[in-house]
Amino acid sequence: MSEIAHQDHTEKKAFLVNTSSLKEVRIFCREVFEKLHIQEDLKDELVLAIAEAAQNIVKHAFKNSASPTELMVVQISCENNKLQIAFYDRGTPVDPKKVKHREIDNIKPGGLGTFFIQEIMDAVEFKDGKKPWINHLVLTKQL
Amino acid sequence: MSYKVTEEGNVSTIHLDGEIDMDVTEKAKEVIFPVIDSGKEVHLNLSQVQYMDSSGISVLIESHQRALEKSTKVIIKDVSKSVLKVIMMAKLEQILNLE
Repeated sequence: MSEIAHQDHTEKKAFLVNTSSLKEVRIFCREVFEKLHIQEDLKDELVLAIAEAAQNIVKHAFKNSASPTELMVVQISCENNKLQIAFYDRGTPVDPKKVKHREIDNIKPGGLGTFFIQEIMDAVEFKDGKKPWINHLVLTKQL
Repeated sequence: MSYKVTEEGNVSTIHLDGEIDMDVTEKAKEVIFPVIDSGKEVHLNLSQVQYMDSSGISVLIESHQRALEKSTKVIIKDVSKSVLKVIMMAKLEQILNLE
């Protein structure tokens, strides 16, 4: 847990649902975390977790075939030193029971993104998406 | 992501540069796999890779496994601190050949 008091702050941004947006998502996160004065090592981890969640939207919720104008929204909020990152998308509804990473000792490509998210964040919660959204994922981390 | 390949004897060194995410994994495989398939020892220099996600890690695993199938090896060289952290998070530092 950080001893620095981070200023309360909220920002959100919409991105096209495609793999090219992943870099933009990372840039957005880094910019917000700069404003929040989050230390470098933690910032790298948080950017990875957020990028993995965005990747899951592209890869799983839309199966790499979203329409060219389809959007996902990433919202980063910091309140009372608690970081909350929310993702909104209109892809296939996620069944939280089916979201699991591969066994870490079973060395094979794939299945690590969810593991990274769970390792880095304190909590991962799938909520009902309010219209027009279908999926609403919330990641939290106490700073 | 950009890359450079140098050859010296039976060793091919692939220098990757930039960020390795899902958007560039196919390109990375197109660069790495033919060199592995040629049977040469592959040195993958990651000193200029500042970011790698789970897709990039999958490329490293696939490359390692492909090399074993071809009776050669992939050695990961000069890995940057940020990428090493991701490799360690995936508990692969004992599996992949890191130098």
